Amino acid sequence: MIRRGSGRTTDPRRRTFLGLALPATLALTLFLVAPLVLMVTLSFRPELTSDLLGPFAPTLKHYEQAASVGGSWQLLQTSAVMAFVVAIVATALAYPIAYFLAFRAGSKAGLYLILLLVPFWTSYLLRVMAWKLMLGNAGVINSVLVGTGIIDQPLTALLYSRATVVVTLIYVWIPFATLPILAVLGRIDVRLHDAAADLYASPFQQFRRVTLPLSLPGLAAAFLMVFIPTIGEYVTPLLVGGNAGIMFGNVIQDYFTKSANWPLGSALSVIMLGVTLVLVVVGLRVVKPRRLLGQ
Amino acid sequence: MFARPLTPPRPAVLLCVLAMVSACSTPAASTAPTAPPALATTTPTTAAVVPTSEPTCSPEGAANPDTTPPDQVKGNLSVFDWSGYEDPGFWTDFNKKYKNVDVKFPAMGASDADIYNGIKTGTNTSDVFHPYTGWLQFYVDEGLAEEIDTTKLKNWDKVPESFKALGRFNCKQYFVPWDWGFSSIVYRTDKIPKIDSWAALLDPAYNGHIMMWDDGPGAVTVSSYIHGWDETAITADQLAQAKTEWTAVLKANPTTWAGEPDLIAGFKTGDVWAGYAWQSAYATLLPDLPMAYADPKEGRNSWVGVYGIRKGSPNYDLALRFLDEKLGAATGEYLVNTWYFGTSNADVIAGITDPTLKKAFSVNDPSILQHTNFTPNLTAAQRDAWIAMWSEAKIAAGS
Repeated sequence: MIRRGSGRTTDPRRRTFLGLALPATLALTLFLVAPLVLMVTLSFRPELTSDLLGPFAPTLKHYEQAASVGGSWQLLQTSAVMAFVVAIVATALAYPIAYFLAFRAGSKAGLYLILLLVPFWTSYLLRVMAWKLMLGNAGVINSVLVGTGIIDQPLTALLYSRATVVVTLIYVWIPFATLPILAVLGRIDVRLHDAAADLYASPFQQFRRVTLPLSLPGLAAAFLMVFIPTIGEYVTPLLVGGNAGIMFGNVIQDYFTKSANWPLGSALSVIMLGVTLVLVVVGLRVVKPRRLLGQ
Repeated sequence: MFARPLTPPRPAVLLCVLAMVSACSTPAASTAPTAPPALATTTPTTAAVVPTSEPTCSPEGAANPDTTPPDQVKGNLSVFDWSGYEDPGFWTDFNKKYKNVDVKFPAMGASDADIYNGIKTGTNTSDVFHPYTGWLQFYVDEGLAEEIDTTKLKNWDKVPESFKALGRFNCKQYFVPWDWGFSSIVYRTDKIPKIDSWAALLDPAYNGHIMMWDDGPGAVTVSSYIHGWDETAITADQLAQAKTEWTAVLKANPTTWAGEPDLIAGFKTGDVWAGYAWQSAYATLLPDLPMAYADPKEGRNSWVGVYGIRKGSPNYDLALRFLDEKLGAATGEYLVNTWYFGTSNADVIAGITDPTLKKAFSVNDPSILQHTNFTPNLTAAQRDAWIAMWSEAKIAAGS
């Protein structure tokens, strides 16, 4: 009698797969799943104690308190809208870059890709701080506008606003969003374009009927890759958002770093995580990627 | 309580902090920063600072420092301090004497809550930590700090009694006072004629040019000064009023500051005319801009930083030596002359010869101590409510 499963352990391909997957699985378990479980658990603890892993009587009081924090729901909604705008615009702007790299850059694609990634050679903080130098009252843009006599007084609205946060985040995310789109475009068989051309498809029709549908998985990946982390963003609003550009992540940060209330901060984080997942699931159901792909 | 990414100040005026020295002319405390005793008879909040059980405490034991030569002391010591305080100048006496001790700063804090949360949850197991007045009671009540054997500190007699009292609870010394200073309003004199009240931070006349500290307890403290509320007994109605007022301020002004460099940059770009500030920001800005540091009619705020030893630290004796050397002369001089913070070492304050500093000591306002408010210890309920108020004000301002 052959035991069930014995085939799995002797299959060399499966063993290779398991061996390759093991490090990533362990890393994800240790650094993603475990912290998430800890955070969810913490949100049900009555209070912060020295025994974070010890037994406790679960309570929902932090969720009640989180729900009663004045304006928090509206701020979460605002953050979601900001993340949506950032994700849409960053993905839209990343697409032509990826298209150029995939189909037009030729042998210099590698060089251009490196240039695209050059900003990552400096720290995130430096790149965001550079926007302060650009947009400040005494910044580059205002100096030029005032110096050339176009305006008399600096435009104070350039910095410390929601628009500033959105613009900065779009800038930050464009290179990231380019990569998944590029990966998908790079796999498209260019002979399909030739075939479309043979069938008298105009360049625009080739793009609309061939390239775009085939690149939708990359677009979806780019959108989600930007949208999900942007909802919880707190560093960028902290640096360039000012009092008017606050996001939900800043409230969470306050409860972790300026208060001794990690359970409430955890409850707010879990709420944000839940809302994000719901939005993504609902979005995928509405958009129906499979339908878009013609499957 | 103070996010202090340290910014090198320049020789300039300071420290009205230092003006304290001139105000204290008794031989015993002739040149020491004896702010607390002066305040003890003049401000209601001092009662919350100086333990009421103080008179019944028995005298401290005779000094009995460990006589082991420093070069024979070996080991490892970890310190949980604020970002920037790992600078060897801040522990130069220890660094020079204890060549065989490896001092580490495994993680840096950015707020009082950071330090407290790390020690409380055990996510930071450093031997020594650095909280500020306002948050000390928590460590004592929750058993997070070891009692300090002050007989082992050879520099302990250099610390004025009033400072010692800040770290003493139930007649037990839990903390060694180290740095101190003022909070008030720093402002540009070419933009604002004179500020004589904390209410200037709420004044719509300066809309767009005020930069408040991003801190709930700090905001409530200012509100209590403005309205004459008892800071230790803020009511729900008062907190609601504070929220309304601070929401208006946050809406009317572009940003707040979390670290002193943000405040200084705001002034230097010309965007900020007035802001909540420590004296170090004033000293830093003075050489470049026409600045003043307000003496509000309600009184300035003053704060003291202390060092404690974590409960259960395996390096207690070494930590005591570290705290002792923290009170050393070279360390104190570095703190005062390089960073314009006050030190609890009275000899250092007495030995200052810089004319600018001496001027700052003696002439500005000898009565400064008569109207300065020391930060009282918070209760957990106050801490949570005040931080929640500030958070909601920020949300409302951004909505």
